[in-house]
Amino acid sequence: MNEKKEKEYANVKIPTALAKKIKKRIEGTEFTSISSYVTYILGEILSDAEEKTEETFTKEDEEKVKNRLRALGYLD
Amino acid sequence: MKLDEKTNYIVSGLERSGTSMLMQILYTGDIEISFDNSRKSDDNNPRGYFELNGGKIINLLINGDFEFDKYKAKFIKITAYGLKFLPPGKYKIIYCERNIEEVLDSMEKMMGIKDRNREDTKKSFIALNNMIKKKINNRKDTKILYIYYNDILLDPEKNIKKILNFLNLSYQNLDKMKAVVDKNLYRQRK
Repeated sequence: MNEKKEKEYANVKIPTALAKKIKKRIEGTEFTSISSYVTYILGEILSDAEEKTEETFTKEDEEKVKNRLRALGYLD
Repeated sequence: MKLDEKTNYIVSGLERSGTSMLMQILYTGDIEISFDNSRKSDDNNPRGYFELNGGKIINLLINGDFEFDKYKAKFIKITAYGLKFLPPGKYKIIYCERNIEEVLDSMEKMMGIKDRNREDTKKSFIALNNMIKKKINNRKDTKILYIYYNDILLDPEKNIKKILNFLNLSYQNLDKMKAVVDKNLYRQRK
């Protein structure tokens, strides 16, 4: 993707109530707009979905980590 | 030494990767850190753990109950798994990495066990480390400095300068901070 393409945007509609919630959540953070936060979150979700097809941090890994953290006193 | 009042500062990394030593270096350098004494120092961390909530801050993060606003302009310790639950904000993270075999050795020593499924445990912690690094690298609200435990022991000055540069602080306490790196703590090295 060239630089020009990367700067292209599309509009997405979200419910006003959700937009208000997001606005409140990003107050005082590095996210300067609702769009930047929504872009970040959607990117995370898509990235997670893509990773599920690769060898990654599985639910089984997570359970092993949590058990170890409990044994070390880092988690109840 | 003053940190930015709008930023939350975090020392992170896998458990037993040198996070307590990093906290102690910062503390000695008159950089504000926040911790309580709910987990006392012991043979595994003779100089203290420098943790909040007895190390169980992760529970607060999972429940969304940790009050980040109270801890701006100061360092807190959140070990790697806790970063999965970091809410949007403005962060600077010093992430400590260490040879995974040494991390596991140290964990086993702390628990007083010999892990019969060590290879499985290793795979899971490597996966955790990779997932968390990817997650924080992708965040737009986070700046990260990676510090390698083994490197800081070999060359404290170079690595502490990296930390001070990352924090936009002067080198005025460099010598005090260097003195913290006690090679005797490097007991797990193979």
